[in-house]
Amino acid sequence: MKKTMLFAVLCAFMAGSVSMCGKSKKELHIYNWADYMNPKVIEKFEKENGCTVVMNYFDSNEALYAKLKAGAQGYDILFPSSYMSKIMYEQKMLSEIDRSKLKNLKNVDTGFISRGLDPYMKYSVPYMVTYCGIAYNKKKVKNFRPSWSMYERTDLKGRMTLLNDVREVIGAALKFNGFKYNTTDDMELQKAGETVIKWKKNIAKFDVDEAKRGLSSGEFYLIQAYNGDALQIMDENEDIGFALPLEGTSISQDDFVIPVNARNPELAYRFIDFMLEPVNSKDNMDFVYYLSPNKEAQKLMDSGFMTNPAINPPKDVLLKCDFLIDLGENNTKYSDLWDKIKSAK
Amino acid sequence: MPGIKNKRNEMLLTIPSAGWLILFFIIPTVLVVAMAFRNADPYGGIGNSWTLDTFRDLGNPDYPSIIWRTFWLSLVSTAVCIVTAIPAGYYISRLSRRYQNIILLLVIVPFWINFLIRIFAWKVFLHPEGLFKQLLVMLHLSSPESLLLYRTEAVLIVIIYSYLPFALLPIYAAAEKFDHHLLEAAYDLGASRLQAFMRVFIPGIRQGLLTAVIVVFIPALGSYIIPDIVGGPSAEMIGNKIAQRTFVDRNLPHASALSALLILAVLLPAAIGMTRRFFKEKNSASLGI
Repeated sequence: MKKTMLFAVLCAFMAGSVSMCGKSKKELHIYNWADYMNPKVIEKFEKENGCTVVMNYFDSNEALYAKLKAGAQGYDILFPSSYMSKIMYEQKMLSEIDRSKLKNLKNVDTGFISRGLDPYMKYSVPYMVTYCGIAYNKKKVKNFRPSWSMYERTDLKGRMTLLNDVREVIGAALKFNGFKYNTTDDMELQKAGETVIKWKKNIAKFDVDEAKRGLSSGEFYLIQAYNGDALQIMDENEDIGFALPLEGTSISQDDFVIPVNARNPELAYRFIDFMLEPVNSKDNMDFVYYLSPNKEAQKLMDSGFMTNPAINPPKDVLLKCDFLIDLGENNTKYSDLWDKIKSAK
Repeated sequence: MPGIKNKRNEMLLTIPSAGWLILFFIIPTVLVVAMAFRNADPYGGIGNSWTLDTFRDLGNPDYPSIIWRTFWLSLVSTAVCIVTAIPAGYYISRLSRRYQNIILLLVIVPFWINFLIRIFAWKVFLHPEGLFKQLLVMLHLSSPESLLLYRTEAVLIVIIYSYLPFALLPIYAAAEKFDHHLLEAAYDLGASRLQAFMRVFIPGIRQGLLTAVIVVFIPALGSYIIPDIVGGPSAEMIGNKIAQRTFVDRNLPHASALSALLILAVLLPAAIGMTRRFFKEKNSASLGI
């Protein structure tokens, strides 16, 4: 399960750091999401470069941003989602990418990322693409429909969760009502707010990581989750299913970025370039169950992986999905609505 | 004069603790309050100008319900902790030394386990497919569909569980010092057991009670992790709102204003209590008592 995996990762790092003891090797400090990179690939990088990779984890883009904004230093690579990379770049927290140092940049699927927020990879290099959807227990949820309307099902009351994420939850309700994820229209937002307040009566809580554990332990029957997270649970528990809602959902792309105060930018470039190598990118995809926009690596994947609609959604679903964008001043519209939702009876 | 020398020694002795308090309590508190008067930029920075807007925003119609929930949860949990800790403290203090030590050890041992892990243990305990729930269903005390977790009651129970030892220890310490012959004297003078307990024992451990109230009520007021983990979609407390303002909304001034509100809620009763005591002592001194 997830915990064992995390434990294994920790052990791998511990074993790694013990064996390096006393040689004062170069250290690469990475701030990443949990369970988001294959430890074997990291080990390989450490061996080839004679360095130690030190991993720290964050659980939301906002927490990452708040920590760096408050002056946290010492990280060489971060993994924000692209809307957050964009703000961080605008806030002069990220270095621009020096393309000459990344010979594997040619593997990136530029056609895909042209829809994203940094189409020319000025300050970020894409790592994985994630979709938000619905994971559910096939035994407990009768007549499942891939739709956000599942949250209106009173027979699942108290056994469902939504993410504890302003944008994803309000976004789902916006899509449910036929609007766009990044809208700033007051009427549309109000309508979405009313929808979430209705859903809230049926859910157990707003949660990100605990919901995943709850789904596999039988505590929850249906959760809002990111595709790779859901597929990781499905790999361990065959009762679990996942679907992207027909009304559409969000696409996020998580990026490699290098903060301006990185201590070891050279090694950071080497790391990014290493991860862009088709074989390594493939090993990471096999581990995290997300799709990397890496053309050459995708050619190495099993056909089952590439045709899995939960990993690589069909065109008609993709067209209904929106990239999350940071709304700057208009973020307050969402946080005000979130307050209203949270305090609603 | 020896008085002045004593004064000076007293001052020297208080410097370390006073310095500590100034450095780690007063300065940060002042900074937090000051930040609440700054304007916020939408990217999580703190502006350069001063403003009262943030405090005006505290009039947000969504706040009263959260503030009310925070207060009643803290008050009820404090009351339950005190009411259960008084008889427990009394009985422990009446035991022989050896048993006292064993029981105190049993109270303290759970603290060797991390706070977070203890809260997660409650999630396992109250799990809808768990043993406890099955037992309740078997005894017809609960229906199979009802949920024990993710409700305000769960938050209340876990707060009480977490802070009960903090109430018990000061009350036990006061009860241990209490001269139990006073109770016998009260009986001799015709008091019933209850009267003696209420009118002699309780006032006798007043200081311990006050400490217990403070060490339970204040942390309960600032709860964040407990409602986050065992609370449902409608169990938010002020602590969760402060976290949301800091991380999600990127609005540090607003988070500071909420924190200032909490600090005020804690300091105000303490300040009133202290001034009252100050005047009482002054009065009794001038009366020559």
